[in-house]
Amino acid sequence: MSATADVARMLTLVPWLLERPGASIDEIAETFAVAPDTIRADLAHLDFCGLPGLGGGDLFEVTTVSDRVVVRMAEELKRPLRPTAGEALRLVLTVDAVAEVLGDELPALRSAIGKVRAAVGLPEQAADVLGTEGPASLASLREAVVSGRRVRLRYQGRADAAPTPRELDPWGLHVVDGTWYLQGHDHNADDRRIFRLDRVVAFEVTDEPARTPRPANLETPRYVPGPDDTAVVLEVDARGRWLEDALTVDEVRATDAGGARLSFRTDAPAWVARLVLMAGGDARVIAPDGLREQVSALAQRARERYGRR
Amino acid sequence: MTAKVERLVNLTVALLETNQPMSLAELKRRTGYYDQADQRAARRMFERDKDELRRLGVPIATLPLPFSDEVGYRVVRREYELPDVDLTAEEVAALALAVRLTGGEGTPLALAKLAARAPDPAELPEPTTRVELADEAVGAVADAILDRTAVRFAYRTAAGVTGVRTIDPYAVVRRRTAGYLVGRDHDRDALRAFRLDRMTELPVAVGEAAAFERPSDLDVAAAVQGPEVEGVEVELAVAPAARWAVELRGGQATGRIHEGEPVMVLAELDPVRDRSWILGLGADVTVLAPASLREAVMASLDAVTEVAQ
Repeated sequence: MSATADVARMLTLVPWLLERPGASIDEIAETFAVAPDTIRADLAHLDFCGLPGLGGGDLFEVTTVSDRVVVRMAEELKRPLRPTAGEALRLVLTVDAVAEVLGDELPALRSAIGKVRAAVGLPEQAADVLGTEGPASLASLREAVVSGRRVRLRYQGRADAAPTPRELDPWGLHVVDGTWYLQGHDHNADDRRIFRLDRVVAFEVTDEPARTPRPANLETPRYVPGPDDTAVVLEVDARGRWLEDALTVDEVRATDAGGARLSFRTDAPAWVARLVLMAGGDARVIAPDGLREQVSALAQRARERYGRR
Repeated sequence: MTAKVERLVNLTVALLETNQPMSLAELKRRTGYYDQADQRAARRMFERDKDELRRLGVPIATLPLPFSDEVGYRVVRREYELPDVDLTAEEVAALALAVRLTGGEGTPLALAKLAARAPDPAELPEPTTRVELADEAVGAVADAILDRTAVRFAYRTAAGVTGVRTIDPYAVVRRRTAGYLVGRDHDRDALRAFRLDRMTELPVAVGEAAAFERPSDLDVAAAVQGPEVEGVEVELAVAPAARWAVELRGGQATGRIHEGEPVMVLAELDPVRDRSWILGLGADVTVLAPASLREAVMASLDAVTEVAQ
């Protein structure tokens, strides 16, 4: 971490500690989202801060006894530095986005946002989050998570030809960049699974209690390429560049006229074939051959529906 | 040699404590720093330190000194200090939870500043939902929005056209998967929204601060969503495999049958944007009406076949 970031933290650490004499190193580290050793290093520096010179100077007094910290003689920094415009904007957007999702569960968040905006001088119009309205199933699924009841789904997996029935003990919901997921123990797979809510065709909250305990840490629903996954290369022209946003692309190489060559791995080639189809001629498969043939065959079958050969 | 972080903290304290602007010579006397024999080296070191502190938001003022050609420096305490934010224990807890759920760069520090003198967080129940947000480059535009300075950046449109834009930045808006900068485009003299992740170069400020006023009737949602498109009613013949997808999209059965498949109707589809959704359903649907969409889908399927050769 840069010296600048360290200074920004230390200037906040002092007023924070003046208000909380005897705070523990762990508690401080958690608040500032850094390692306990980083906090120890900060405190070692702060012991040499204040006003040096003038016959030994007038330094802060930092005492740490069994990981409890007391700062004295630091009234010069008794209030924190104002957040920068960037910090303020980022915080407001973050909190606002979470309030869109959890505002009903955490009403205090809504009242806090107004106070935060006022404190950092950010008008409501300068930073806004537009509704992340969830699917209709949300309220019932939330309730199933809170009350710990088993859920039955009909689910269209990315790699499946048709929706299949699933039964799971729900652990929690996730919103990743506006997309909703449900995570839980899938009884059919006897393992943890993550379901995209916009692929849930039907669901039912049962009266049966969920029996598989929720693990301490829930996984983030993010695709991690495995060793058996297919390496794909697509070429898109300028109008097909939106595919970059739809896929998790490893490499983008610009080509002529605003196009690009996209390289990535996937566990669901059939889903990629559909994306290429969606691009309607603005994308083509370079590799593997099998995927290119799959796209061709899919397009051909679709054309036959319109009487074309 | 003292650590740089200590020097920067101590410089901040010295500038906060003085009531009169201090020249570099006085700062040297007061702090013991910048005492190199080479005065230009000392000046360079001080200038670097000053710039670094300003980037953190330390408002170092440069003021003329009486009876001298030199300038003096000081930090006005009320510009530096964040006034107390009247947050309750529940609000602090809710904010901390929002920051912990999303874990964005810099947000824990911003919250520590706001909550430095607030009560310790209350205990809250574990929320049902986790929220993940893409980390947007909002820092680059935050100052410009708050200072009302125009910015210039290179931008790639959804259609793949790259160009340089100059805009009066009004707001940052987050909507589902992406963050947007909303403002008045100088060349087009119109309100526009720009996806932050399509800026191919970071925005730089151009011109003076307070160069524009944010319109009081600014409608950021309209800017981000673009012009309202008149929706059309679409009729599809739907194979069983696609029935769930059409139903999730609001499709209703008409009771009619086309070549052995049920005919479903969707109200209010966007004929341009939703064409790719229909293409993605591949050989599982046939567009029956309107004729223009049917033609467009057929042309797109031909294009897919052509580029796949």
